[in-house]
Amino acid sequence: MKHFFIAIALLLVAPLSAQQYLTRQGTITFDAGSPLEDIIAKSESASAVYDSETGKLGVQVLMTSFVFKRALMQEHFNENYVESETYPKASFRGTFSDGRAVGTLTLHGVSKEIDVPASLSLEGDVAKLHTEFPVSVADFEIGIPKTVANKIDKEAKTTVDCTLKLRQ
Amino acid sequence: MSRILSFFALLLSVTTLSAQDDLFDLLDESVPETQTVFATFKGTQLINAPTNETPGKGVLQYVIAHRFGSFTDDYLYNFFGLDNAQIRMQLDYGITDRLNIGIGRSSVLKVADSFVKYKALQQRTGANAFPFSLTLNSSINYRAARYTDGIDHDRTDRISYYHTAIFARKWNPNISTLFSPGLVHWNMVPGRDDPNTTLHATLGGRVKLNQRIALTGEFSLMTNSELSNGSTFTVPGGVGIDIETGGHVFQIHLSNTRAMSNPYWLSRNTFSALDGSLFLGFNISRVFTVR
Repeated sequence: MKHFFIAIALLLVAPLSAQQYLTRQGTITFDAGSPLEDIIAKSESASAVYDSETGKLGVQVLMTSFVFKRALMQEHFNENYVESETYPKASFRGTFSDGRAVGTLTLHGVSKEIDVPASLSLEGDVAKLHTEFPVSVADFEIGIPKTVANKIDKEAKTTVDCTLKLRQ
Repeated sequence: MSRILSFFALLLSVTTLSAQDDLFDLLDESVPETQTVFATFKGTQLINAPTNETPGKGVLQYVIAHRFGSFTDDYLYNFFGLDNAQIRMQLDYGITDRLNIGIGRSSVLKVADSFVKYKALQQRTGANAFPFSLTLNSSINYRAARYTDGIDHDRTDRISYYHTAIFARKWNPNISTLFSPGLVHWNMVPGRDDPNTTLHATLGGRVKLNQRIALTGEFSLMTNSELSNGSTFTVPGGVGIDIETGGHVFQIHLSNTRAMSNPYWLSRNTFSALDGSLFLGFNISRVFTVR
């Protein structure tokens, strides 16, 4: 009986700890620009985790890590739009299966269920995640004043590119 | 023995299972422990006093400022004081995110100035927290207005200097304060016993009313507010509103100051709100990313 337990335990320990993929240098960009104004920002320090056994997928980014071309735009993004001091990060927690990422997207303190197309390919001990989806500014209660309303796209085209490595 | 082993086995399996549930906890481990506080103030100046802020790297800022005529000086005849406007123009550039240089020209006594501003310390939160920001600011000011005292003046007589250390703290997203001790040095003063250097301390703050509008206020104290020629200097101060719209910051305020180059409003202000010498004024800044 005891051998059985040990065997089970070992079986549990070995594969489970060897299926988690992780990165801290994922890239997330978004484009909320309009013909009137370029509003493009990029973060290269997003974190992503993936468990190939359970299909659990998580992505998280610090809002202040988004870099804009213009310093003032970056300040306004953090101070007036996403309120980074109050809501420092955005995250996705859910699962990946059959070419779709399904789960909860949390941004600006608001959580929404999303179901978006995604690709996740495993090559050796690397998992490559790619997904593109629109984020509706209104869904996440991000206020845009009327004076600049025509300069900002209400749907921020968001792109996630992460190369996750197998955790040892 | 077997019990112990099975206990360990169970423990191991439980640990790994809980590790599974905590997959998402791995995400939080990556959050940097220290974050730099941003946007302590909306503008690079509060009303007259410089704030700890500088334009970002590669940003060219143009500031145009007016101080209108007094309410007590034939206010309607002077079109709400607009006919007696004093003006300042300023152009400055962010060499790095911390270093800023600029030039300005103010109409009171036709003073031209150049300045340098450097963010020496930045307030941080988190593991490596630091409680305040410190920005150093110095300017050299050249009075171009002709002297009317009949004395032949050296060019150096026209020069004055201003140095300050701006301590600022953002207490929460809405409330920020600054304390700015500094000194003004005049190359020429009216009398032999008048000090060339005066010490100053500015206190100021802002309260955000919403994302784009903030109330501001400031006042400054000085040493030696009387000169041998009978001039008495008052406490310069004011209250205002910051309004931010995209690339502009509008600052509209009421103050007892007319001059806008630092030594002159700080160390040579003779207006007192108690006499009704209150002036409507504004600063408008526009930034261009030129990098």
